[in-house]
Amino acid sequence: MIPERDRVALRPEQVTIPPGHPWNRIPVLGAVCALLGIAACAILGAANPKQFFFSWLVSFLFFLSLALGALFFVLIQYAAQGGWGIVLRRIGETIFAMLPVMAALFLPLVLGLRDLYSWAVPGAAEQDALLRWKAPYLNVPFFLMRAALYFGIWSFIALLYYRGSRGQDVTGDPGVSARLRRLAGPAIIVLALTQTFASVDWIMSLTPHWYSTMFGVYFFAGSFVGFIALLSVVAVAMRRAGLLDTVISAEHLHDIGKLLFAFTVFWAYIAFSQFFLIWYANLPEETIWYRARMEGSWMTVSLFLMAGHFVAPFFYLMGRTVKRKGATLAVGGAWLLAMHFVDLYWQVMPTLHPEGVRPSALDVAALVAVGGCFVAAASWLMRRQALVPLRDPRLAESLAFENV
Amino acid sequence: MPLLLPQLPTGPTYGILAEFATPADLYHACERVRDAGFTRWDAHTPFPVHGLEGAMGLRRSPLPWIVLGTGLTGAALGFVLQWWVHATAYPLVISGKPYFAWPAMIPITFELGVLFAALGAVLGMLGLNRLPMHHHPLFKSKVFERVTDDAFFISIESWDPQFDQSATGKLLESLGARRVELLECE
Amino acid sequence: MAQTEAELLDNPVAGSPTLILRSPDFHSITEAVAGPVEGRTPIGWWLFFIPAFALLGLLGIAVSWLFWEGIGIWGLNVPVGWAYDITNFVFWIGIGHAGTLISAILFLFRQKWRTSINRAAEAMTIFAVMCALMFPGIHVGRVWVAYWMFPLPNQMGMWPNFRSPLLWDVFAVSVYGTVSVLFWYVGLIPDLAMMRDRAKTRARKLAYGFFALGWRGSVRQWHHYESAYLVLAALATPLVLSVHSIVSMDFAVSLLPGWHTTIFPPYFVAGAIFSGFAMVLTLMVICRTAFRLEHIVTLRHFDYMAKITLVTGSMVGFAYATEFFTSWYSGNPYEMFAFLNRALGPYAWAYWIMVSCNVISPQVFWFKKARTSIPILFVMSIVINIGMWFERFVIITTSLHRDFLPSAWGHFTPTIWDVSCLLGSFGLFFTMFCLFVRFVPMVATSEVKTVLPQADPHGRSGPEREIQAHRGKLPGRGELAPEGAS
Repeated sequence: MIPERDRVALRPEQVTIPPGHPWNRIPVLGAVCALLGIAACAILGAANPKQFFFSWLVSFLFFLSLALGALFFVLIQYAAQGGWGIVLRRIGETIFAMLPVMAALFLPLVLGLRDLYSWAVPGAAEQDALLRWKAPYLNVPFFLMRAALYFGIWSFIALLYYRGSRGQDVTGDPGVSARLRRLAGPAIIVLALTQTFASVDWIMSLTPHWYSTMFGVYFFAGSFVGFIALLSVVAVAMRRAGLLDTVISAEHLHDIGKLLFAFTVFWAYIAFSQFFLIWYANLPEETIWYRARMEGSWMTVSLFLMAGHFVAPFFYLMGRTVKRKGATLAVGGAWLLAMHFVDLYWQVMPTLHPEGVRPSALDVAALVAVGGCFVAAASWLMRRQALVPLRDPRLAESLAFENV
Repeated sequence: MPLLLPQLPTGPTYGILAEFATPADLYHACERVRDAGFTRWDAHTPFPVHGLEGAMGLRRSPLPWIVLGTGLTGAALGFVLQWWVHATAYPLVISGKPYFAWPAMIPITFELGVLFAALGAVLGMLGLNRLPMHHHPLFKSKVFERVTDDAFFISIESWDPQFDQSATGKLLESLGARRVELLECE
Repeated sequence: MAQTEAELLDNPVAGSPTLILRSPDFHSITEAVAGPVEGRTPIGWWLFFIPAFALLGLLGIAVSWLFWEGIGIWGLNVPVGWAYDITNFVFWIGIGHAGTLISAILFLFRQKWRTSINRAAEAMTIFAVMCALMFPGIHVGRVWVAYWMFPLPNQMGMWPNFRSPLLWDVFAVSVYGTVSVLFWYVGLIPDLAMMRDRAKTRARKLAYGFFALGWRGSVRQWHHYESAYLVLAALATPLVLSVHSIVSMDFAVSLLPGWHTTIFPPYFVAGAIFSGFAMVLTLMVICRTAFRLEHIVTLRHFDYMAKITLVTGSMVGFAYATEFFTSWYSGNPYEMFAFLNRALGPYAWAYWIMVSCNVISPQVFWFKKARTSIPILFVMSIVINIGMWFERFVIITTSLHRDFLPSAWGHFTPTIWDVSCLLGSFGLFFTMFCLFVRFVPMVATSEVKTVLPQADPHGRSGPEREIQAHRGKLPGRGELAPEGAS
């Protein structure tokens, strides 16, 4: 136990958003964006419902993957008893606390299952032997039950960890850390399984004849890169805004940068492995998915992804200086966040537009709508809490942390 | 090129060797020696002491740049080799793929890149450290044998412009040295 | 106030857990590690060395007979063209990966506890890679033209097939072996200097001194050395991932059900680390008692190792579940048959050994009591390695012996020579390891010293020091700390 005199005296004022600070307005801005976005979606979507559902799916998956990546990050920090990231943990907790919000944002997709998934069209299974085979799994009722199960489990874990950490702010009870640490292992396993099946259900079944055992890992890799990228942007933005600038140091930014670099490489490894094995064996039942993404202008997007999601960030994030300065790290993070969106767009959209990329106003509208809700809810939560886990027993270690 | 030849002071005296008791003593002494303006000096420890490079005023090692260079060279070599063999020297249609099938060239490109980078790291490190150097005046000191065990030292060489046989020794004693010794070159 | 090991372990709150027990000073660490190398050979060493050497002899006989008579002395046939040979290859490469993970990846994650075990683990990697490389080498049939694997210009104008994963293996495993040796050797230089400075005989001084390259602990040298160490660790990490991924591609690029599946690369890597850590556990349980290093390789180290074993074992289990689900989901009858055949066909006994050893039994490591019980750790480590050997055997043999056409189905039965090569490879491994612990310091002494509290030049480490450091050094509003400031 750390003796009382050694406990860091971080005053609550240092780590909350002060009244009158510009960041207090973000929830309102977010809500306005959300309303505008939803209105645009409603108007434009009435004319083109299929496009609306696909665009909404991409934006939904984007923000969901950030929340799931956040949950993984925090769970791994607990399980591995990592000390360095504690000052950043509240940011992650706020983001994964959005998982129940994502459950609500999933509802529009329920209305569009027949537009999104060819197996959900009534009578599809009669025409297609493979769909008949998969019907016990790929049918609307079971699909919806699974979705409810995923969101139920994710929300449960998210709220358990969020409440535990917030509660510790008040009580300072070290037993909370111990309990959350013990639960982290099983939680990670449950999260891995649910996330895998969710990615199978929501993305892989867009091409119902296709399958890949790597797909769950691929989704995880992308979501983790996305979250670390978001973390870098938020951390730097907070420093710039005068919040936590005495708490988050160059050392923390350096570690975020290292994680960003490492998981960009990991994403590339997973993405390439999946592509490579399918390319090499050249079996038509597997190559259809990649063929679709090499058709017309989709080929350009594929090449752009390789260059932008791997090659450029690899060389950019290699150097030490880039990772330690807020401006340069945030640029890298913002770029990778955009690349993650492109990745999900590239995974989903060719089902709707096989002939080539067809950007649509609905893509933007959906992004604004879903993003607005996400940002509004997350920033509203930020206002009501301390920005670091105030009375975590290992906060001192995280504050003083120094890199190699 | 005197890469592997020891860079030693000319003249009969090598310099002064001072022993310190703890890493903390050594650290503070190093800061003072650095601030006093010495350039031809070094500290010696059984293990890398955290932050001592800063206390000595050393610049960052250029090794990562050497490694980047050798690594990229290795990767390029691997890629060109495969391209040349499969697209030019002896083209064969293998599993229906084009002659220049770049995905299949990635594994070996990567491996050779890593190999050359690792060789660059090790040989670069040895080169920058001027190793192997099996003979050095410091090995003449009996107490210096403990440098790999539990003793900490500062050595100031005689060709430093500020070196003075008696004054430098007294300075080191004032900084907390347990023992000070004058060493000859031969 | 002395803490028992058990108390030390349950410490989620303290910042820096005590890694080395009995509060030794630097000199006693030197003595503890160098002592066994300098002293007389203990009887226990001979008890391990002689059987290992005998098995090595068996290997020599088996391989000589193999070269003389040909691959037919093994049980290979059509369709099972690969069985024990490649199983052993993948098995040994997998074991090697844990050493690199401990050296390189744990270094990048700043896990100080690795310093007690990384030297032995790296040595284990090198010997495991030696055993692994042997198998593809001897299984080619015409060993005398094995040099055709390398891109050497020749009179036939022929080149190796760079598109083949078998050739990627040649490059990957050779690079892995080379980099592992380099990394191990670089880490060894300061300790060889330590042995040189302590040497009582001229012969020892010359031998250790030669390989110590004249190291004199100069901080200017440590500076470049640490940079090299960090770079090598950063290189070795993707190397580990790539090597076992490439090994998995031996199978995954094919068309065979059960072999061709996209999850193989990360799944194999996780399995490799899983079996490798089990082998490290086996070796460390024996060595720490034999060399009285229980205060340097403590129960806390075993706790962490067991946790990593649990994590990677769970990843392997996750991959099994994904493969199983996808074999149904694919709707491909051959895929489904491959998995049903594994569980219910002629090799079902091997499959269920695999599942019970890899998925079921490691669950015991959820409990701290199991993670810190030496008998359980030792038994489990062997059980896991048995399971992982069987996993590779099941993957290779079940997919080969019954693929698409029933008329081409077959069966594989090992011969005495298959088994001899397998047992003999253990002989090679343990002989090399015995020689290693006899002549080379088996703990990275200079690295262990850095984790002692006295090594910190800023006074005692711990939360109080960290708070003082925090108050002194963090940047003010809107500014970042200047680079490199300490």
